[in-house]
Amino acid sequence: MNTQQINLSEWVETYAKDLYSWAFHKVSDSELAKDLVQDTFLAATQKIATFKGDSSPKTWLMSILNYKIIDYYRKKANKPVRLDMQSFAEYFDEEGDWKTEKRPKDWHQDESQLLDDSDFRMILEKCLDALPDKWNVCIKSKYLMNKDGNEICQDLEITATNLWQIIHRAKLQLRDCVELNWFKN
Amino acid sequence: MKKIMHILFLSCYKATLLIEKKLQLKLSLSEKIRLILHKSMCDACTRYEKQSKLINKVLANSALKKDQTPDLTDLKKEIINKLQDLN
Repeated sequence: MNTQQINLSEWVETYAKDLYSWAFHKVSDSELAKDLVQDTFLAATQKIATFKGDSSPKTWLMSILNYKIIDYYRKKANKPVRLDMQSFAEYFDEEGDWKTEKRPKDWHQDESQLLDDSDFRMILEKCLDALPDKWNVCIKSKYLMNKDGNEICQDLEITATNLWQIIHRAKLQLRDCVELNWFKN
Repeated sequence: MKKIMHILFLSCYKATLLIEKKLQLKLSLSEKIRLILHKSMCDACTRYEKQSKLINKVLANSALKKDQTPDLTDLKKEIINKLQDLN
C-alpha cells in the first residue's frame, strides 16, 4: 500500500459527505449524486500526482466534482432542441391567443396554502420529471441550483434566446401538467 | 383589428414569454408597459403570471427541504474497495 492510496481512502472517509451534499444540491438526485462522488474519487486516483498540496484536499476534490457535474449536464443537454411556433401550437392558436382548453384556470387556492402543501409539491416534481431532458435540465439548473441565465447558457452552450424559449415552453407544460393533476383530485 | 391590438398590447404567446423573462431579468420600458396593458385586459395571462411565480417558489423550497444527507457508509466502502482494486 503506498502513501497516496492511504491518503485517498482517508479522504473518502473525511470528504465524501461534503462532496455528496454539494453534488446533491446541484443535481437534486440522490443516486446520481452518489455516482458523481464516486467518479470524483476515481478521477482523483488518476490525477493524484498533480495534487501538490497548494490547496486543501477538499478544494481539490471539489474542483474535480464541479467538472463532473458540468460534464453531466453538458452531455444530457447535448442534443439541440428545435423550438418554433409549432412547439407552442399546443397552447396558442396562430394568432398567439390561448387555446380555450389551455387557458390558465383560477386555482381557487391561497398561495401560502399551496406553498406548504406536500401533495402539490409531489405533483410538481412528477411534472418536472416528465419534461424532456433538456427542458428539465434548464429548469432544474435555473430553479434548483440558483444559477443565473448566463451561467446556464455557458454550461449548456446554448444562446440566450433559445434559453428563454426553452424555459417558456417548459413552464407552459409544467403549469398545464400541475393544473391537470391538481384539479383531478 | 386584432393584429393591431397584438402589436400594441401583445399576443398571449408574447405576453407569457415576457412574463418568464421578467421573472429572471429586467424588461425594457416598452415591454413593461405593453405587458401591464395586456394583463389589464387578459385574465388568463394574469393567472399565468401568478401561477408561474408560485411554481418557482415551490421549486426553490423543495430543493431546500429535500437536502438531507442519507447514510453514506455503503458508498464510502464501495469507493474505497474500488480504489484498492485500481492499485
